[in-house]
Order: sequence, then structure tokens, then C-alpha cells
Amino acid sequence: MIIRSSNQMPRITLLKRFPVPRNLGVNPQSRIERGRKWPAPSGAKRIKIFEIYRYDPDSGRNPYIDSFEVDLNDSGPMVLDALIWIKNKVDPTLTFRRSCREGVCGSCAMNIDGTNWLACTRYISDTATLASVYPLVNMRIVKDLIVDLKHVYAQYEMIEPWLQSKTPASGKERLQSTDERRKLDGYYECILCFCCTSGCPSHWWNGDRFLGPAALLQAWRWLTDSRDEAKGERLDNLEDPFRLYRCHTILNCTRTCPKGLNPGKAIAEIKREMIARRS
Amino acid sequence: MSNSAVEQRRPKSPNIQIYRPQLTSVLSIANRISGVALSIAAVGLMIWLIAAASGPQSYSAVQGALGSLIGQIALLAMTFAFFFHLCGGIRHLAWDAGYGFGLRAIYASGWAVVVASVLLTAVAWIAALFMRG
Repeated sequence: MIIRSSNQMPRITLLKRFPVPRNLGVNPQSRIERGRKWPAPSGAKRIKIFEIYRYDPDSGRNPYIDSFEVDLNDSGPMVLDALIWIKNKVDPTLTFRRSCREGVCGSCAMNIDGTNWLACTRYISDTATLASVYPLVNMRIVKDLIVDLKHVYAQYEMIEPWLQSKTPASGKERLQSTDERRKLDGYYECILCFCCTSGCPSHWWNGDRFLGPAALLQAWRWLTDSRDEAKGERLDNLEDPFRLYRCHTILNCTRTCPKGLNPGKAIAEIKREMIARRS
Repeated sequence: MSNSAVEQRRPKSPNIQIYRPQLTSVLSIANRISGVALSIAAVGLMIWLIAAASGPQSYSAVQGALGSLIGQIALLAMTFAFFFHLCGGIRHLAWDAGYGFGLRAIYASGWAVVVASVLLTAVAWIAALFMRG
């Protein structure tokens, strides 16, 4: 019942999805249809079924759900291994991003059994009997599990994620004390997988104007950097009913972060900074 | 660069239709629903007060409605909404002050809100039933 870290699996199985109609507010071209079944190659002994979201932009079809039989004796232990196994052995057209396969690049972020996580750090044994794999929620789909990150990257760019200083460069490093450096812990580790922004209900409804937890965590990472000298301008840029204050502290972001970071706390720190500079 | 016509045709992945309900999101939406319920309850309170001010006849009519089974269920729901919104509000106040952001604290305070609002509702109703005599 009590979750201590974000990598703990949800234990309450009573309500696996919100009781809303499947096509509530979904535009016609995004409605999901039934796809086909892909049987495992003959000789497979330990079979698990993965239901995977597919979309082929060239077919003119709507997105659909294919179900794949995966031979667990032949595939690696992670969900990403299963996807690679499917691509190698069953359907080479299955499309997804992956790179590091160890949770440092953030490429394989997707929705597994209803929550966002990295496919490379989620054990197959931790997934439901009928595992479901969707792309990151609430994003435009390029193909299959690949989402268009253009919008969230633009939001990241909006917070100007680089060191801004007015004092001229001294020709040496800009030094920090150990305590000053420690303030970046828990924020600099963000890998920009956008699991949090994709899982934020506030971003679902107001994603065009609300920056979302990933960008705001980065905003705090620069606000709290002792070497940065653009604090006032950064806060001015965020002082907006939507950009910052559409965060209603739902905290789905902190629950879902595959790196165990705390975007919710970062946003609260920004809000407190806004109040502190007024008084 | 892909053109915008292609981007416009791209489907959007589902959000609330597939995302798993968690204590975080469920309590957040419940806090909103209880807030809406309390706004409706405020109108009910006004009706009750106006009825009381305008005479015994109208007052007994409203009392009768509140005493019916549906009225009692509505009152119970409003009492729960009141305590739930109160406890949830205190939780949000702590967050706004910068406390309680560890996942463990988020979950512990969340369940505390649920348990406390149920208990407070029960205490309020038991007290009310005793006072009625």
C-alpha cells in the first residue's frame, strides 16, 4: 500500500484503468482497433503474450493492438529484450527507440501495464500476465512505439537549459563549494525520457501551455545552480498561470520517474522561490 | 524536417483511457470532486437557512426532505466530502510549504487522509445521533 520508491510495482489490482469510455475525447484518427495475433515460432516452450500498440503511417490505417507470443526461454529478462526478440524473430517492422539498454539514455520510455517506465529496466517477470505495451501516453505517434518529442523538447528549450552568467569568464573554472554542488543532486540526473511529463494529467489537459514536470525540474536545476546568474529572468519567464501554476501537485511525476527523481518537489521549490522574491 | 500536414495526421496515444489509477492521481481528482460537492452543499445550506428564516412551515418541509433516506445519504456524502476536502487541503498546505515530497511520505499522507476523513465522518455522525437523543 505504501510506495517507498518509484521502482516498486503497483500492488492494488482492483482498478487497472479509470472507468471512462475507451474513446472518450479521442479523435477518430487516434481510435485504436484490433490488430492480429503473431504466434511464437514452433518449439517455443515458455510463452508470454505481449499486447503492443502499433501504428503504421504509410498504411492509412488507424492505430491497432497486435498480440505477440514471446518465448521467454529465448529472450532476455527485460521488456526491451522481449521487444528486440519480437523484432528479430517475429515481426521486423516493429519500431521502437532504444540505445543504452541500461537506463541511462531514456530512449525506450514507454507505457508498460499502464505506467510509464523504461523498457530496459522493467523486468518481464514484473509485468501482468497479459502484458500491455503502449507508447508514452498523450503524445503524437510517429510509428508504433515512437512518439514525436518535438513539443516537449520545445518546452525544454523554453526554460533555457544552459548556464547564464553576467560576470565575464575568468579563464578558469567557475568553482562551487561542496554544499552548492550538493543542491544539484536529484536534479542533474534527469535523462529527459519524459515519463513524468507524459504521465502528468495536468499536462494531458493543458500540455499546450503548461511546461510539464520534466521541463520544470530542469528549470529548478538551473535556478538552484550557484554559478547561474539569471535567476530573476528565469523566474519571470515562469511567472505565468499556465507555464508553472498548472501544476496541481498530483505527483504522478514522482511516482513514475524511472531514475527515482522528484519533479514534484522541484516544482514546489520553484513556487516557493516565487513567493520568497516577492517579500 | 517533416511537414506539418504529416504531423497533423499523426494519431495521439491514449492518456486517461490506459494510464493506471494511482493513489496520487485518484486523491487529486477526489479532492476536486469533493470540492465541487461542497459548492453544491453550500447551496443546500443556504436553502436550509432561508427555510428556517421564512417560517415553521417551510422549515419543516426542508427538514422532512433532509430526514428522508435520500436526504440522509446526501448529508452523509456531504459530511465525508467536507472532511476529505479538509484533510486533503492540509496535505496540500504541507506540500506548498515544501514538506512531504518523498514517495513514502506522499503515500503515507495519502492513506492518512483517506482514513482520517472516514473516521471524522463516523465521529461526527455518532455525535449527531447522540445529540438528537
